[in-house]
Amino acid sequence: MAQNISRRDFLKLASGTSLFGLGVLASGCASEEKQSGGDGWMPDQYHGRGDFPAQLKGRVAIAPDNAAIVRDDEKCILCGQCIEACQKVMSVHGYYPLPIKDETACIGCGQCTLWCPTGAITERPAVEEVEAALADDEKYVVVQTAPATKVSLGEEFGLAPGAIVSAQQVAALRALGFDAVFDTCTGADITIMEEASEALMRLTKKQAELPHFTSCCPGWVKFCEYFYPDLMEHLSTCKSPAAMLGATVKSYYAEKQGIAPENIVTVSIMPCTAKKFEAQREELGVDGRVDVDYVLTTRELARLIKRRGIDFSALSPSGYDSVLGESSGAGRIFAATGGVTEAAVRSLYYFATKQQPPADLLSWQAVRGLTSIKEAAASVPGVGTVHVAVVSGMAAARHVLDEVRRTGRSRWQFIEFMACPGGCLGGGGQPKSEFPADEAVRRKRMEALYAEDKGAPRRMSHENGEVQALYREFYGAPLSARAEKFLHTHFEDRSGRLFDRETQSQA
Amino acid sequence: MAVLVDLTKCIGCESCSVACKLWNKLPYGKEKSRRQKEKDLNDDNWTVIQEKHVEGENGKAYTRFVKKQCLHCLEPSCASACFSKALRVDPDTHAVVYVPELCVGCRYCMIACPFEIPRYQWDEPLPLVTKCEFCVGRLKDGDAPACVSACPTGALVYGERDALIARAHEIIAANPHYVDYVYGEKELGGTQWLYISDQPFEKLGFKMGLEEIPPSTYTHAYLSKVPFLAAAWGLFLAGMSYYHHRRAKNEKKPPEKKEEGDGRI
Repeated sequence: MAQNISRRDFLKLASGTSLFGLGVLASGCASEEKQSGGDGWMPDQYHGRGDFPAQLKGRVAIAPDNAAIVRDDEKCILCGQCIEACQKVMSVHGYYPLPIKDETACIGCGQCTLWCPTGAITERPAVEEVEAALADDEKYVVVQTAPATKVSLGEEFGLAPGAIVSAQQVAALRALGFDAVFDTCTGADITIMEEASEALMRLTKKQAELPHFTSCCPGWVKFCEYFYPDLMEHLSTCKSPAAMLGATVKSYYAEKQGIAPENIVTVSIMPCTAKKFEAQREELGVDGRVDVDYVLTTRELARLIKRRGIDFSALSPSGYDSVLGESSGAGRIFAATGGVTEAAVRSLYYFATKQQPPADLLSWQAVRGLTSIKEAAASVPGVGTVHVAVVSGMAAARHVLDEVRRTGRSRWQFIEFMACPGGCLGGGGQPKSEFPADEAVRRKRMEALYAEDKGAPRRMSHENGEVQALYREFYGAPLSARAEKFLHTHFEDRSGRLFDRETQSQA
Repeated sequence: MAVLVDLTKCIGCESCSVACKLWNKLPYGKEKSRRQKEKDLNDDNWTVIQEKHVEGENGKAYTRFVKKQCLHCLEPSCASACFSKALRVDPDTHAVVYVPELCVGCRYCMIACPFEIPRYQWDEPLPLVTKCEFCVGRLKDGDAPACVSACPTGALVYGERDALIARAHEIIAANPHYVDYVYGEKELGGTQWLYISDQPFEKLGFKMGLEEIPPSTYTHAYLSKVPFLAAAWGLFLAGMSYYHHRRAKNEKKPPEKKEEGDGRI
């Protein structure tokens, strides 16, 4: 060693270094020690100890396998709007005792998708599947459009609510590559043939089954299966118009065109998310073939059109394909609350009397409008006075259903139920033109539908030439054995999935 | 403070886990190198709802949703295992909190936790441990934890632990469908998150048969004497050394003649 360090120098150096090190460590201790997390954000309503009732709190439960709607947690801000829609409008959330049995309650109506401000809740998408079917040369892809989509699709392309775009919609669907474009209104006319006949039979022969409940709304049907299974016998056994048309396409139309039914893919454009659940029902199919393969909401169709770069406003109008493309005015008003009732009573009158209904039944103001519960009466010679009720919004439906349950019968013989406020025109799959879903927009859409009815060359379902041919060539008569096989369904008591009275006796 | 979880009231909406993500700014859906069989806790999920399908005594199928997060033990094993004081009990709220800047990454806490709660940031270059912090900042502001405040069905209730235990027993006494057991009341000396259920806890994935004594008490008896033992051992060795040196010196040089030094030691 060149240099010698004395013992004293070494100790000085060592102790000095240690003191400096200790100082550095001590300075670290003086800094604020903060635990991890906790610097984020929560909406205003989440202050306090959580033991007070809050107006909007949390969110609805959506099972991962929900066929109708999905949610992206990353977009959820816990605003509570979905609860508002589910509880106040639909009376589903909070209307079943806890604990749950083994299913997360959802009727699939999709009102929450309209209310969700961040777009976290949406329909379960089917655009990819439809595009794949369109790209498959083996498949003959048939599409049908619901009446409500004709007065709302334009909103997605900057048109005013209530703009009638049925001809552009057909043109857009052709541009997208669909092989045939049919009208769900035709399905609605078939529905009326069956349902008016069924209601007439109940009014005259099977009075024990009265009141007659309509069954074209899948949200309402599931609601009834969940909460009022004891009243299911009142439901019309008719399938929904979309399912009826799907079943007819895969049988009558396939036969007529010489296409193998297994190569046909049926797509429906619906204002509705519950239709996606309906399409998956096992009972909605004939000979193992499902009636409707894929359901796209109005919003999804708009997305598809935009994705393909189709200039919607520049499309030259196009008409529906024949065989299943003609519609009566009655079929066109199905999308408005009261529309099914008005359409059914028009044909019921004819079936009972073989005479045209009076003019006031062709413009039946008492069942029109957006009021949640409407009452009316129609005098049908030979049948008597038919008392009808028209209900939209399931929260309103509970009032009517509770009365039917309590009294065993009701003041009404015919009750129309639509899950969404205003009917399908306010459906959960409709464009989000107004937030939250607003009556002004619904009214515009409704007025457009009734204008479509008024302008129709034929106002009643049984006058529809294509439907007449369909019955002549295929179904025979309403409620025939073949019609029962293809156009009618049955329902399932779903209350046992929500309720278990053994464990819920205290609830 | 404490939270009572009534599993019969949970509908599986996962408001709680979203609230946790919002409040703690945790990312969603990041690809993890460690695969998990079911939805479970990880460094981005401080609380999760696990869906459990159980067969009731009557043979029927039931679905129950179980909220999982740190149970905040009254005598936390993780904190006693942590030698850098990164895990500690917050004196104001008694929440078991984690201070990342003190953590050395040894992961003793993960081995020590009897409920297997703390998770490691395996995909980070400088990983830390993560777990539920009981929203200690919210608690200090007088708010309930984020998850509790967002629960729409009242399945989560926040309050004083003794009051909640009393309430839990009242609920059980009033309804024969509940299992007569408050999970967390006695487990390992008691936890601040308490659970009641109508289905047996073991079927819902709860760890049963845990002792009522906190694990730290086993080691506390002797670990607490370690400093004294170390000091005493040092003193003993110093004494021995002094004695040995003195004897050796005495043997080599008789004391009569003393050398002159230069003043240095």
